[in-house]
This record gives sequence, structure tokens and C-alpha cells, in this order.
Amino acid sequence: MDRRNFLKRASAATAAAAVMTTSNKWVSASAIDEDKQIGSIIDLSKCDGCEYQDTPLCVAACKTKNEHRFPQPEKPIQDYWPRDHHEDWSDEQERIDRLTPYNWTFVDSVEVDYNGEKKKVHVPRRCMHCDDATCQKLCPFGVIYKSEHGAVTIDEDFCMGGAKCRSACPWDIPQRQAGVGLYKNLAPTFAGGGVMFKCDMCVDLLEKGEKPACETSCPRDAITFGPLEEMRMEANRRANDMGGFVYGDEENGGTHTFYVSEVPYEKIDEAIQRDKQVNEDQRPGRPHMKPEVENLLYTAHGFTLAMMIAPVAGAAAAGITAYKTLKKEEVEEVDIDE
Amino acid sequence: MSKTTGKMIRQPKVNRFVHWTAAVSIIMLIITGLGQMPLYGRYLGPNPPVFLEWLQSYEITLWLHYTFASILIFTAIFHLIHHLIRKEFAIVPRKGDLKGSYHLMKAMILKKPEPPSHKYLPEQRLAYALFAVSILLLVVTGAFKVYQNVAGGSLSNTMMVVMTTGHNIGTVLIIFAFIGHMAAFLFKDNRKMLPGMFTGKVDQEYVKHRHSLWYDELKQKKQRKNKKIS
Repeated sequence: MDRRNFLKRASAATAAAAVMTTSNKWVSASAIDEDKQIGSIIDLSKCDGCEYQDTPLCVAACKTKNEHRFPQPEKPIQDYWPRDHHEDWSDEQERIDRLTPYNWTFVDSVEVDYNGEKKKVHVPRRCMHCDDATCQKLCPFGVIYKSEHGAVTIDEDFCMGGAKCRSACPWDIPQRQAGVGLYKNLAPTFAGGGVMFKCDMCVDLLEKGEKPACETSCPRDAITFGPLEEMRMEANRRANDMGGFVYGDEENGGTHTFYVSEVPYEKIDEAIQRDKQVNEDQRPGRPHMKPEVENLLYTAHGFTLAMMIAPVAGAAAAGITAYKTLKKEEVEEVDIDE
Repeated sequence: MSKTTGKMIRQPKVNRFVHWTAAVSIIMLIITGLGQMPLYGRYLGPNPPVFLEWLQSYEITLWLHYTFASILIFTAIFHLIHHLIRKEFAIVPRKGDLKGSYHLMKAMILKKPEPPSHKYLPEQRLAYALFAVSILLLVVTGAFKVYQNVAGGSLSNTMMVVMTTGHNIGTVLIIFAFIGHMAAFLFKDNRKMLPGMFTGKVDQEYVKHRHSLWYDELKQKKQRKNKKIS
């Protein structure tokens, strides 16, 4: 092969590789509509945990609205073979002191030591609906969706209940109920663990232009949903006015939930951890409130570069080796009777 | 080929480099890819052996997955372009390979004389196609997943399901391809090809007997070369 032919072939191959690696047009647009993004403010200076009620009203409203979706497993429920346990909350459906498959929001009431005095703080907890939701991006079956409003929702019909979303979530929000869901029809002994449940921002109400149940039921206007950027600005304005703090704007790379508090979140988190320790509370569903939580996917931007370089480097290396071997033309010495 | 040892080159250095780099990266991709499911947590239990603990970390297995994916992409592109430039298509499936595979397998099982083969057996060409299709599916769907996960992009819900499911199907395909590749060595006749992937050389007698069509090609090539010289 002469040099001209070689160069012609090599450049054609390299061009093809470049087109394959740089074309971005195949990527479908995201389902997210920037203009429709909904955020929320949870104002801890207003929330009193409905202490005068048996159940905080936001929790009760959430339960009432979603009870038709609560899982009803057939008993007995199989263990997660070869392990000797399974997650079952079905006998604790009335539980309201943590997140469970039957309780998608709860109020964590703790006593915080701040500025030399004890202060009772009530923290409504639920899914934060992250911008770059690690649960959604890392679901091994791709069955966690984002609505056009930015609500992160689990498809209960196709969830296998592996609970990876809970491990990937910095707050361990989604909770699992065994004995229900798709896995029961596949290989229930060997794979799957039930269905994961969490707050879905009342996405059905948002689609109708209505407000989520927790907001409409709150007697103290502690919960407000609205356009994302408006909510972000309003949360920061309120925090500035009270000399307080915002949680959720930066955490996990940004979320759609903005807590506003006069008390630093480190203090709130310390109080939660202390309370858990005192009560020997090790069960899932009671999230921490550590500030500056990092999104685990953000540490990996270097891999994007590596994957973009890989095909180009492969093409270049191939060009060099092909040229060298053709020039040298390694003809095998074959012992052939002619 | 060296006349003293009766060996001849079947796999030059470049082929061996591609084969082993692809093999290591595919095996590691399968191991780390399965680590993206709650498999190791469940099956290794709460107290796995120390050297296997890393398998239970979604983060570590994901970063390793991306590392080996980059290596496999490099290798696949290198392989394609190298052979395109050199016009080497011996392993590309040909018409009649399915039938040819059937006859060859039948001959091996019944210990009957095999039909003559080229450099690669028909089932090797088919196995190559299965690996190629699996890798292509995995690379394309994986690229979308990477775009979403670490390049800061976002996909529509439909694209997300399609790409994730496609990636999972590709994983099953490549595991089958790997098992099939290993199963080939259950046949004694195939084991004579093994040294080719380690030293690059195989027995000439084996080639004459089993890959006679390739041997004839080389013979003609040598004759042409000799004519040129004289």
C-alpha cells in the first residue's frame, strides 16, 4: 500500500471515529421544563409541629391523600435469601415518627442548644427532590423519573426494591416494603426486595395546577410551593431577614426544597443524632441534616473526559500501529512446500 | 514460522494486545456492572472478606466501571481502525457461517472429519459478531448513561428507560458471549488455538489440518512474493 492510500484510509477512519464520538444530536432533550420547575420553602421559624394535634396536619394530609397507594403485602413475607431478614412496615402503618412506605413525610421535633439556650425545633422531613438526583440517575432499572416540574418519582409498578436509591440518596429517603411489587412475579427468592416509597411532590396535583397536600393542610403557612427560582430567592430573603440559614440550595448539588431556619443546621443535625443515640434509634427513615452534603456523581467529571479521549486515542494509536506494521509488513515465515 | 519448532504465527502482537486488554476490561466491567445492582450487598452479606469489601461500594464500583469502560472503548476503536486500515477482515462473519458452524460442531462431536476452515472457524466468526453487537450496544447505551450521570446532562424519562434497559440487555448478551467463548475449550480440538493468544504461535501441522483454507492463502501469498523477487 502506498503512502497516499494509507493516508486516505487513515483519515477516513479517524473522521468516522470523530463523528461517532462528538455527535451530541442523538441525545434527547430532558423531560424537565425549566419554566415549569417547582420548588418549595419549609420555614422552620413558622413550623410548630402541630404540637396540639395527635398528628401534624401535613403528615395527616399526606397519609390521607396517598393511602390508596400504600402497599398491602401478602403474609408471610419471604426473607431476602440468603439473608435472614426482610423490611416490613405493614404492621406499623400508623407510625408517624419517621419516613416509612406508609408515611412519606414526618416532623422531626428536637431540642437544640443554641446561643446558650434550649430551643425546640420542628423539622418536616421528606424527599428533597434534587436537581441531579443520585437516586434517579443510578437506579439500575431506570424507573425513577423526573416530572416536568422537577419532582422525583418512583415507578411503583416496575421498582424491584433493591434499595440502591436509598443508598445513593445522601439522606436515605426512600423506604422499602417487602412482599409487594414486580419482584414477586419474577424470582422472589433470589432477586428484588419489594417496592421503594417516598414523597412525589403530589405531582398529580401539580399537573392540575393545584398545591401539594402538605402545603394546603399547614395552618401556619410553614410550607410553600411555587416557581423554583422564586422559592430560592424568597428562602434566601427570609433567611437574610432573620439572620438565619438556608438548607437545600447547595446540598447534594442543589435541590427543590429550601429549609429556612434561625438555628444553624449543624446544631439541628447534632440534636437529631443525639436524640437517636439516647433513644437507641437505628432504624431507617430518620434523615440527618448535615450541611454541605456532596453529590457523589460530581466527583467523577474526569471520567467524561477520559471517555471522550478514549476513542480518539484509540484511532490515533491504530493509525500509528497500522502504518508501522504495513511498512514493515510482517510476512509470516511459513514452511510451505512449493 | 520457524522451521525448527514447526510453529507459525497466528496472532501478532497487536491482536494479542487487543484480545487481552478487551478480556480484562470486559471481565472487570461485568464484575463492577453487577456491583451497580444490590447484588453484592445481599449475597456477600454484612461481613464480606476484606478483599471483597470494595464490591459493596456503589461509588468504588461505579468509578472502576467508568475506568474500564474507557479502556474498552479505546481498545475497540483501536481494533476496528487498525484492521480497517490493514484491510484484515478474516474474523468478520461470512455467508453460510451458521450452517458451517453446525457442520463443524457435528463433526467435532461425532469425531468425523471437519470441513476445511479459514483462519477463523465459522463459530469463531459468529462469536466475534455476538461480542461486537454486545459491545456496540453497551458502549452506545453506556455513553448516554455517562452523559447523564457525570457530564451533567439529563435524559427524558423514556430515553432513560430505553438506555438503562438496553444496557442491561447488553450485559446479559456479553455474559452469554463470554460463557460461550469459554465453553469452546470444552472441545479438545479447539485447545490447540490457545497458545496463539499467549505466544502468538500455533502448530503448523494443526493449521495444515484444520485451517487448510488459510494455509493455502498463505502459500499463495508466499508464491507471489517469491515471483516478485525473482
